[in-house]
Amino acid sequence: MGAVAVLTGEVRAEGVGKTIDETTLLLPTDVSADPGECIVLRGPNGSGKTTLLRIIGGLLVPSTGTATIGGREADERDRTVRAAVAALLGAPTTYRDLTLVDHLVLIDSTWGGDPATSDDRSLALLDRLGIAHLDDRFPHELSSGQEQLFRLALTFSRPASVVLLDEPEQRLDTGKRQVVAELIRERTESGGTVVMACHDPELTATLATRVVDIVPAR
Amino acid sequence: MSKRKQPARKQAAPRPTVPEPTVPEPTPEPEPTATPTPTRAPGETAYDGSARDLTAPAEVDYDDHDLLGQADWVIGGEAARKARQQGLYAGYVLFLGALVYGLPIVQAVFRTSDATSLGDQLRSPVAIALLVASVAALLGAVVFAGRFRGPVVPPMPWIDLVLPVPLDRALALRRWWRYAAVGGIFVGALSGLTVGAGLAFAHLAGVGTVVVTTLVGTALGVLATRLWLWSQVRSWPGPDRGLSLLWRVPDALRELHAESLRAHSANTSTMAGSALTGNLRTARLALTRPVRHGRSARLRPGRPFGVLVRRDVIGLRRTPGAFLSGLGLTVLGGAIVTWAFTQPAAPSIAATIGLLPLYLGFGAWAEGLRLQADNVGTPSLLGTGELTEAVAHVTVPTALTVLVLGGWVAVAGAVGSLPASAPLSLWLVLVLVVAGNVLAAFRGSPTFMLRPQMVVAWYAVPALTVVVLGSLIAVLTKAANYTWLSVVSWLVYAVLAWAVSKVRRLTYLHRA
Repeated sequence: MGAVAVLTGEVRAEGVGKTIDETTLLLPTDVSADPGECIVLRGPNGSGKTTLLRIIGGLLVPSTGTATIGGREADERDRTVRAAVAALLGAPTTYRDLTLVDHLVLIDSTWGGDPATSDDRSLALLDRLGIAHLDDRFPHELSSGQEQLFRLALTFSRPASVVLLDEPEQRLDTGKRQVVAELIRERTESGGTVVMACHDPELTATLATRVVDIVPAR
Repeated sequence: MSKRKQPARKQAAPRPTVPEPTVPEPTPEPEPTATPTPTRAPGETAYDGSARDLTAPAEVDYDDHDLLGQADWVIGGEAARKARQQGLYAGYVLFLGALVYGLPIVQAVFRTSDATSLGDQLRSPVAIALLVASVAALLGAVVFAGRFRGPVVPPMPWIDLVLPVPLDRALALRRWWRYAAVGGIFVGALSGLTVGAGLAFAHLAGVGTVVVTTLVGTALGVLATRLWLWSQVRSWPGPDRGLSLLWRVPDALRELHAESLRAHSANTSTMAGSALTGNLRTARLALTRPVRHGRSARLRPGRPFGVLVRRDVIGLRRTPGAFLSGLGLTVLGGAIVTWAFTQPAAPSIAATIGLLPLYLGFGAWAEGLRLQADNVGTPSLLGTGELTEAVAHVTVPTALTVLVLGGWVAVAGAVGSLPASAPLSLWLVLVLVVAGNVLAAFRGSPTFMLRPQMVVAWYAVPALTVVVLGSLIAVLTKAANYTWLSVVSWLVYAVLAWAVSKVRRLTYLHRA
């Protein structure tokens, strides 16, 4: 990937909104997050939480306002932004011919992880999420809950100063939600920034530094 | 009111034979074979309105033809007749196509200034082995296709409403089998006739060959259709899956499970829908067999580029079907293309014929490239840039193709002359095949109005680019026209640059 500047996890979204044709997906909204913070986006279905996360991740151009990561415009084409943001927004496409642990080793290697300990790191992450016993399974052999844990493992296996999560609690039981809460807390305690959409009041109460209520367009 | 004709025999209801419908009478001391005590509520009647005992063991005699006739009348009216007419029309169009396009193409394939030398080469063991391999590959493809879309695919209402009726399944499904069987015979015979006529017109064989090739084509058509049905039967678990089903067609039809027929019907819809909307990923994921073996092998960590290459190697190890189909196609295409470039007697159009399997074989090995394109638009998980990733993903298929082409060049060098221009031209073909596959993987979605002809053209652009430019290289190489060959070589590199730009464009196109 070459030399890439490391951006700090300062997330700024000022008056960002999205309108496609005449349909408003997101009313102008402000979000601000600093390193070590976990911001929870809250709002009813269709209020634009995922759209806001996609704008912050640089996957979507806002119709109004600006979004920046570490002072740089949030644009996924910018490799610096790409290196700073890990995101779980919908289902990532996985390799049907790689096992779970292979996926994590692949991601770890492409981010320059030490090859000597890559296996250990990957298995440890799977273990944290309670799916280490599934390490040699292929993605299509997982239940929906296991699949969600695997997606979280993919997201947390890469380095990032900003983590964006769209309802990380979905399809998980209470115990697993606590495991995910632990991972998120560790990430913020180590100086990372987390912005996530969440419908779980308990998880929100446990993790949120601040809550941003998203007002639906209609 | 429609003009549907009612079947001649209107009485389709099952006729109970033993015992006759009677009012149930409880017997004080039932014999071992006596009617069990009815469990129905008093006054409950059978479906036909009689008061006979539904719990009594009975044998019901169905008239399958009557049931089928009623079903036809209720569901489709004259649909069956219309379907037959459509089939006949399709056959007529196919025949015209063979006459107008097939025959001239086959003639062009075998037209050469040195008919004797070409005749000797076509009768050589290598050519015969290639012919046998091509036929085997064709039959293998038919078996492969039968796993997802067999020859017997009735419409969903027929599967849901008629098949549950206790009529003979062989009879209920026979018409779809007949369509496929007649189609197979027709296509086989027509192909044999076209090839034979082409050979005869090119003065490479006598008129008698036309009869032989037509008969062989017909036999192959029959075999292919039966293998197709056999593969469809094997796509669902069951007791009778042996090869003997090839000549026991009614039994094979009876083995078809309703769920299997539903799955094949759904696959047909998925394929048609994906083809028409340009969404190949849906079809690919729906139709590829899930990977289940080779899980003990581990991806070895390392530097980004190396680990991506090893990802593709491990992927091929875990999908031997993809590896073998790629190998078969590349060996076949490589042989024909190398023959076209190294043998003076080979007609130029042979390269055109060989380029397609070569291109498809490379594609079978390039799953990593397609998966990279599938990932476009999702948050990045890998730490590599899009071009590095694409180059890593073409490394394995390119290396394998070089091995195959290198092998054939070595064979050509060992058995005869190897013109100096041949390796250079083959290098251009290799670049073209790589670029074509990158273009195909990163073709994205159609942005125009979805009309079938335009979607077909949109699909065909990468393959057509490879075939047209590759054929041009063959013609210019044989004519020793190196000035124009150098121009075409620049075009080849332009196609490669186009492919690279497509990778970049598609990767960032989603951000809108």
